[in-house]
Amino acid sequence: MKRILLALFSVAALCLATLMPAFAQTKGTVYYLVPTLLDEFQTGSVSALEMFLKQVGYEMKTLNADNKTDGQQSQMNDVIALKPAAIILAAVDFNALKPSIEAARAAGIPVVEFDRQITSTPSDFTSVAGTVEIGHVAAEQAQKLLTAKNGSVKGKILQVLGDPGDPYTLDIQKGFEEKMKAFPEVTIISNPAMQWEASNAGTIVADQLLANPDIDLIFSHAAHLSVAAVASLESAGKKPGDVLMMSSNGAPVGLDLIRKGWLNVEVEQPLYAQAAAVAMFMDKIVGKQEIKPGEYDVLGLKSTVTTEAWGPNIKIPGAAISKENVDNPAFWGNLKPPSDTVKPVE
Amino acid sequence: MNPRTRRALEFVLDNLVWFMLIFVLAIFSLFIPNYFQLGIFANIIEASSVLGVMSIGLALVIIAGHMDLSVESVAALGAMAVGILFCSAGIGMGVQLHPQWLMVPVSLLVALSVGALVGSLNGYLIVQARMNAFIITLAAYIWVRGLVLAVSGGRSAQDLAPAIRWFGIQRLLGLPLTAWIAILCFVVFSLIMAKTPFGRHLVMIGGNETATFRAGIRVKRNLIIAFVLAGAIAGLAGWLLAIRTSGATANLGVGLLFNAFAAVVIGGVSLKGGVGSLPGVYAGVLLLSSINTAINLMGLPANFTQVIHGLLVLAAVMLDTFKQGIRQRLA
Repeated sequence: MKRILLALFSVAALCLATLMPAFAQTKGTVYYLVPTLLDEFQTGSVSALEMFLKQVGYEMKTLNADNKTDGQQSQMNDVIALKPAAIILAAVDFNALKPSIEAARAAGIPVVEFDRQITSTPSDFTSVAGTVEIGHVAAEQAQKLLTAKNGSVKGKILQVLGDPGDPYTLDIQKGFEEKMKAFPEVTIISNPAMQWEASNAGTIVADQLLANPDIDLIFSHAAHLSVAAVASLESAGKKPGDVLMMSSNGAPVGLDLIRKGWLNVEVEQPLYAQAAAVAMFMDKIVGKQEIKPGEYDVLGLKSTVTTEAWGPNIKIPGAAISKENVDNPAFWGNLKPPSDTVKPVE
Repeated sequence: MNPRTRRALEFVLDNLVWFMLIFVLAIFSLFIPNYFQLGIFANIIEASSVLGVMSIGLALVIIAGHMDLSVESVAALGAMAVGILFCSAGIGMGVQLHPQWLMVPVSLLVALSVGALVGSLNGYLIVQARMNAFIITLAAYIWVRGLVLAVSGGRSAQDLAPAIRWFGIQRLLGLPLTAWIAILCFVVFSLIMAKTPFGRHLVMIGGNETATFRAGIRVKRNLIIAFVLAGAIAGLAGWLLAIRTSGATANLGVGLLFNAFAAVVIGGVSLKGGVGSLPGVYAGVLLLSSINTAINLMGLPANFTQVIHGLLVLAAVMLDTFKQGIRQRLA
């Protein structure tokens, strides 16, 4: 029995040794708390952050909250106990994580907000494309598309939201409708695709095509919803170009739909640049040094750091992807990570 | 109460869910602009196909006195397996078979096998190893969804082979073939439940397992078959889901389980087992789908949609409970 136990302990020790190879070689471990992995943007953010942080000398570990706020709060508590170099948080709920952020910072652990901005409490750094701003960019594109089709900004838009409990989609809706308010001849019909589930989006499009056959533009809040929307359009006998289409986040499937002629515009979230910005400033964040406001070049994108009430905030502009620029490797949806190495900001 | 009135009342009670469906459709048609049109009714039937097929498997297991919480994840795994093999974009491998129609039976077989495999594991653990059905299938609900995530890496498979996608586009009498497949499934399984010894034995097992065993019926074998069927049918639902969305995403089908439970209960299947019929379940599925369509057309503020959906389902279930109360008084 003793021998068996000894053998088991040896195997366990060997496994542990292989799992933790080179702590001494890195500047420290950074934990990334990702809201979900059931989404291409989020899975892409894990690999992008891991790659860029490695380039500047940090090891990254990821914890998935499965879209559960309480789960992410527990993860925050666990990670605080591990005293990492920093925590990168893409919050499931923008407000519910406030006490956890405050607890981490009180314990001396810097907190970086990634992708989802939290303004109710200070953080050490925030890297976002800005969900409201994505709505603004989408509105500008919608105006262009409607003008090209109808001669002026008028017509009917079907807006397919994500889950109504997700502030991400509500912010895009806010930004979009804010800008479209100036055009009284535009009617916007908004329906939520519960739990961001694609077949729900398909059903919405199928129903709305019958109730409102004069829909000019379909704006889905994620590219995978557009795929189901296209399937419904196909079933209804529509061809590419019959109905204008637009979606946001810039996922690979959205870019494929642009190439096939179904999708007119995809509003990209600059995933690579958002992740690279975090890596560029990580030394300063961990060292608790001042991050100076101003313009920075992040993977060729002009990005602005401002000092806000919630701390230093870098905003990276989201791009509009169309047939003309769809093959640009800078778009994360093309899945060609940048070959340039990120350098820490001095 | 004279026998004729009693018979009429029993007929109404037996088919109450269908009457509820007609009532709801009439109300929606009257008060919701653009609801009353053939295309919308076709959409309701089309949107019911995935949920309907999934509800059949769930109903079989519930009628047999057990539970299967894994059907939603099994459908997602079936869809993802088909997507990875037969989609040409995203993580799809774009497998091509010649002649092309061969992809239809092969993809269907893949989805059915994946589902049957999970179903047989559930069945073995619950029936042979005597583990709790709720826990085992809850575990399967979690690990199978995890497997979907693991094999897909969170990415999606898109652009399903046109030969398979054909079932989602081609229409017969105004309905896509996927809807006809669902209807056919309901007809076949309704006949199995009503006319075959296997169906009758499942109802008996759900009513009183011990008495059924003592009557010489092979309870274990029938139960394992029920779980395998529930898994395989969930795989079929996954196949339909992949066709409907022209691929598969890691979160495909999320939320279907609770709708399937709601449909089964609204359809008159007792969660205690031994009671229920599949035509009622189909009416339950159609009822839910018509409510969903109404919500889509009403253009309600997004934040309130779930509340309204939940309350309407609650109202339907309360009406069903009321029905059972009357039935008890009649007995």
